[in-house]
Amino acid sequence: MIFDPKIIGIGQSKYTRHPDESDSVHNFMRDAICNALEDADLSHTDIDGFAISSFSISPDSAIDIAWRFGLSLNWLLQDTNGGSSAMNMLGHASRAIQTGAAKNILILAGDATGLSGYAKIANSYNSATRDHLSPLGHGGPNGVYSLVTTRQMEKYNLLKSDYANLLVNQRTWASKNPNAVYKTPLSHEDYNSAPMIADPLCRYDCVPVVAGAFAIILSAEDNKRLEKQVRIKSFFQSFNYDNQEGDGTSTGIVNFVDKLYGVAKLSPSDIDVFSIYDDYPAIVLAQLNDLKIIKKSNIKEYLTKTSEQITPVNTWGGMLSAGQPGGMAGGLNGIGEVALQLQNRAGDRQVNNANYGIVTGYGMTLYRYGGTVSAAILEGV
Amino acid sequence: MEKLQFYRCNRCNKCTFPKKFICSKCGNTVFNLIDAPEGQVKEISVIRHMLGHKDWHPRKIANIQTNTGVSLTVGIDDDIQVGDIVNIYINDGAPVGKNKY
Repeated sequence: MIFDPKIIGIGQSKYTRHPDESDSVHNFMRDAICNALEDADLSHTDIDGFAISSFSISPDSAIDIAWRFGLSLNWLLQDTNGGSSAMNMLGHASRAIQTGAAKNILILAGDATGLSGYAKIANSYNSATRDHLSPLGHGGPNGVYSLVTTRQMEKYNLLKSDYANLLVNQRTWASKNPNAVYKTPLSHEDYNSAPMIADPLCRYDCVPVVAGAFAIILSAEDNKRLEKQVRIKSFFQSFNYDNQEGDGTSTGIVNFVDKLYGVAKLSPSDIDVFSIYDDYPAIVLAQLNDLKIIKKSNIKEYLTKTSEQITPVNTWGGMLSAGQPGGMAGGLNGIGEVALQLQNRAGDRQVNNANYGIVTGYGMTLYRYGGTVSAAILEGV
Repeated sequence: MEKLQFYRCNRCNKCTFPKKFICSKCGNTVFNLIDAPEGQVKEISVIRHMLGHKDWHPRKIANIQTNTGVSLTVGIDDDIQVGDIVNIYINDGAPVGKNKY
């Protein structure tokens, strides 16, 4: 029998820039799990599958976390693919439910590395970074994506100030998200006068590292308390699509974009809301362009329109405003946000008549840019 | 300083950096080391802030494109500009670009 997996529970912990001594990653994860279970109207004993991704649980593994959180399971997964982990876990979990390997899968991500811990991860992210980038003082991913952003600006005739539109838009959404760490509206003047971190990236182009956790529950059964269920209509991924031999201004989405819409029998104009993995503004634009949401690759025109009307991209504020509790939880937050929108549960952020949403994950900076990307079309039914 | 070395497939001559173990083009597993050729500076960034470093001094990095098809990230001196042709060396494990002229 083939089951149809649905997102039936969403939970998050608080996000904080400055965790206190009692704020361990386990506490954040516990809070996210409990909130997701309550949302799904399930007990922890109903969970028979568990997927986790975190930089902060070492030396523990998925089974240690399952044990600590009282989960007895038939299916277990630990993912290590950074900004693509949330989507990876969603894909694996959906297939596990489809085949009957598990009935209720808890997907969890969270981190509490602190800034020094994050710096250590950034400098030893992989062997290429450790051996060939960190000795340069490349500034972690900021340095990598500063060069990608410059290439994007040259390729698409963009000014630094054009990017402000995207950041202002996301901050406007964040102002309506009680869990966002930055809610104060951002002006173009704020953006254009912000200190540079790695030219041309300024402070607002770089995700604020936070401590926190996010969880969703994927199930073979509906959540009877919800008016609308959320199912996965289409899901595709790409890994190491160009061996790092391109310029980083496009992603592996180009390999599957037509299949993504084709399987769903939808077109880009049918999509109502977007969670686009936003480690850097240039990567948001690259994905939107590859997804054909930006028409004829006219990124400048897209950004101009974004300044004239708020666009439903990263309606939780994205990691750039709400905070990045590790790329894994940040990605999971994007999935959860689209699910909330499709269930008409997004509160002040609710997008009218949201029936279809796209979620993406992007990550694992191999050397010159990311090597993994995933995208799914979710449907409210 | 010694020249940085690229890895050239001994069957199809495709060059790579960093090191690979199977040639993505032809599947061969044997690579010869060659000195990195000169390259052109395509983009430059100034790293002005480094997490965990309060006394950080800004430094420049650049994307260098070579005629082998390999593009790589190097450290550069302050006087190097976009469009310059640089030789690529290795300095304490880090690729660095130095002005050819």
